[in-house]
Amino acid sequence: MAKVKQKKERTFLQDLLNFQGSLNGKSQFLDKVRLKGAEGVRNTPFPTKKLEDWKYISLRDLYRDSYELASELDVEVPDFSEHYLPESEQSRLVFINGSYSEAHSTTEALPDDVTIGNIAQLAAEDNELLKEHLNTYAQNNFEDDVFTAFNSAFLKDGAFIHVPEGKTVDTPIHLLNIQTDAEEHYFATPRTVIAAEQDSEVTVIEDHIGLADNKYFNLPVVEVNLEEGAHVKHTKIQRDSRKAIHIARTAAFVAKHADYESYTITRGAKLSRNEPRISQRDEEVEFTVDGLVLIDGDQVSDTHSVMDHRFSHAESHQLHKCVINGKAHSVFNGKIFVQRDAQKIDSFQENRNLLLSRKGLVNTKPQLEIFADDVVCTHGATVGQLEQDELFYLKSRGLNEQQARELLIYAFALETIENISVDSVQELLAEEVRNFTKRQLDSELAV
Amino acid sequence: MLEIKDLHVCVEEDGTEILKGVNLTINEGEVHAIMGPNGSGKSTLSKVVAGHEAYEVTQGDILFEGESILELEADERAHLGLFLAFQYPVEVPGVTNKNLLRQAYNTIAQEQGREELDPLQFEDYAKEKLDLIKMKPEFIERSVNAGFSGGEKKRNEIFQMAVLDPKISFLDETDSGLDIDALKTVANGINQIADDDNAVVMVTHYQRILDYITPDHVHVMIDGEIAKSGDKDLAIKLEEQGYDWLIEPATASVNGEQQ
Ligand SMILES: Nc1ncnc2c1ncn2[C@@H]1O[C@H](COP(=O)(O)OP(=O)(O)OP(=O)(O)O)[C@@H](O)[C@H]1O
Ligand SMILES: [Mg+2]
Repeated sequence: MAKVKQKKERTFLQDLLNFQGSLNGKSQFLDKVRLKGAEGVRNTPFPTKKLEDWKYISLRDLYRDSYELASELDVEVPDFSEHYLPESEQSRLVFINGSYSEAHSTTEALPDDVTIGNIAQLAAEDNELLKEHLNTYAQNNFEDDVFTAFNSAFLKDGAFIHVPEGKTVDTPIHLLNIQTDAEEHYFATPRTVIAAEQDSEVTVIEDHIGLADNKYFNLPVVEVNLEEGAHVKHTKIQRDSRKAIHIARTAAFVAKHADYESYTITRGAKLSRNEPRISQRDEEVEFTVDGLVLIDGDQVSDTHSVMDHRFSHAESHQLHKCVINGKAHSVFNGKIFVQRDAQKIDSFQENRNLLLSRKGLVNTKPQLEIFADDVVCTHGATVGQLEQDELFYLKSRGLNEQQARELLIYAFALETIENISVDSVQELLAEEVRNFTKRQLDSELAV
Repeated sequence: MLEIKDLHVCVEEDGTEILKGVNLTINEGEVHAIMGPNGSGKSTLSKVVAGHEAYEVTQGDILFEGESILELEADERAHLGLFLAFQYPVEVPGVTNKNLLRQAYNTIAQEQGREELDPLQFEDYAKEKLDLIKMKPEFIERSVNAGFSGGEKKRNEIFQMAVLDPKISFLDETDSGLDIDALKTVANGINQIADDDNAVVMVTHYQRILDYITPDHVHVMIDGEIAKSGDKDLAIKLEEQGYDWLIEPATASVNGEQQ
């Protein structure tokens, strides 16, 4: 009986491991990382609904359909320059279907002592910094996670950024992950590593864009390490194709006086699962894990976050806002751990949901696990609709239904995007909110 | 300009009748005051004119410049030039005054075939209007009414009126909550906005604001009807004597009929 069950849970993802070795041979270091990943995949079953942490979403689509590793890039790529950020004209790395595109990338605006490049190339050069950092943090925070292992097993390429001690990088770095419809049913395993040395500062925009409407599986893993006094601003924008599956992991380690500031915008994919896990490495740190989710149709978005307070004097902030329309389904589980010796922790967590339709669904579970006694933790969750009073007020001033809704939804979302330091990103997100509202009205009219 | 004819209104949800046959005609260049006890239906009348969806008109009509507006949405009424200064202005966190008003101004301008203003032009235009009621410029950058004091909210309503330049404005207890100096300033602003081409209807409980803005007509609403109309002397009499003298005879006559 048990055996049958075991077999059922086995997916093509495990079988894929047979081909995993084909990536090897260019860098001994990467070969080792992949080997370790493959081992992890072999030893860890893929999750099912039976697990508490996976009970609200179904991965059936992922397990049933088969996906192949995206082939090397030799395809005609449509023009996607509209997605370039003006602030990052000279500081951009582009990956197309998981492969680095030198033609689209440029890092001219960045100081020479900043190490930036694609992982495959740096690994081939046997770069010491890469070897020091790559997989260190992911391995640590996602030890038992089969998806992280899968990303490692098939690690092909990704972005590596190392900012040396005392350096402030003024120019935001744009990591543009483009997916085309040149292939169907492929998977991409982009890896991003951001290593910020003591007192350094850097802004990174991690951007995932699906240009078409095809099925693919995007499994990004991001590792961030902040040494003492470092400040990393990390914005992630997920605009994958509406048929894509996006399962993401972010491991961040924050040392003394460091500040990890992250904003995650979820707009695309049929199914997305985000798991940021932030760990304190020393006393007196700050971190922000804000998020904005805009979903409609049959989209599912799931955020499972962990904020692990291990030392005293931490200030952490998580505002997670979701706008849900159509039959979309939003899941939030935010775990806040405060370990026994972590005193004087000031932690804020709130999940606010704006439910625009009757058929939308929200599951939310803020979760505190506190083992210290001198802490201030506020947490909460709300589910609400657009306020009729506010709508009437705006309409009485002459705004039509569309304008009024647009303003109110934008106002709801604003708090999670107004602190993003790159102007063009704020603007493009405002535009995303507007488009989302328009889509919403269109679909309502169509009914 | 605005004709309210035998207007009967009930609450959409439970059918409770609130307005029981209101008749009121407002012409260009006029200032009207509506007074009356709490719960008599003054705000309901104002909101129904503005197009609030919580109420259902069961009988009668509202004509604006000769045409019924009952089928129009709130925004379409605003496009025609109707304005309501709310008794309880709504807070809209995240939406700045400037953002709302520029969009509102331009939408109305577009509908009325007037020139739209670009952000810079609008800024200058809005500054003028702020001066009119002596409101600090930082208020236009703030979220609509969010965290405003009671008096600031009322002043903000009149600022919006000044910006949108409506043809007919219902000001629902704009004077309540304003301090003595603010009342003077706001009244002064309203006087400057009021001209021969527009009309103002003030709902108020107090004679004081009428010292600054002289009404052409004063109406008393009691239990969903206009029980009495007169000139500004009526307001003075009400201030002195209250509403009892208007309510008592009505009750008596009902009793009389029953006997
Ligand atoms: N949406 C509603 N649902 C139920 N009852 C309502 C609603 N709106 C108004 N009413 C009732 O109708 C009556 C008239 O209310 P309205 O607010 O118009 O009075 P008002 O004359 O403005 O009073 P005040 O001087 O206190 O402002 C009140 O009894 C009120 O409770
Ligand atoms: Mg009232």
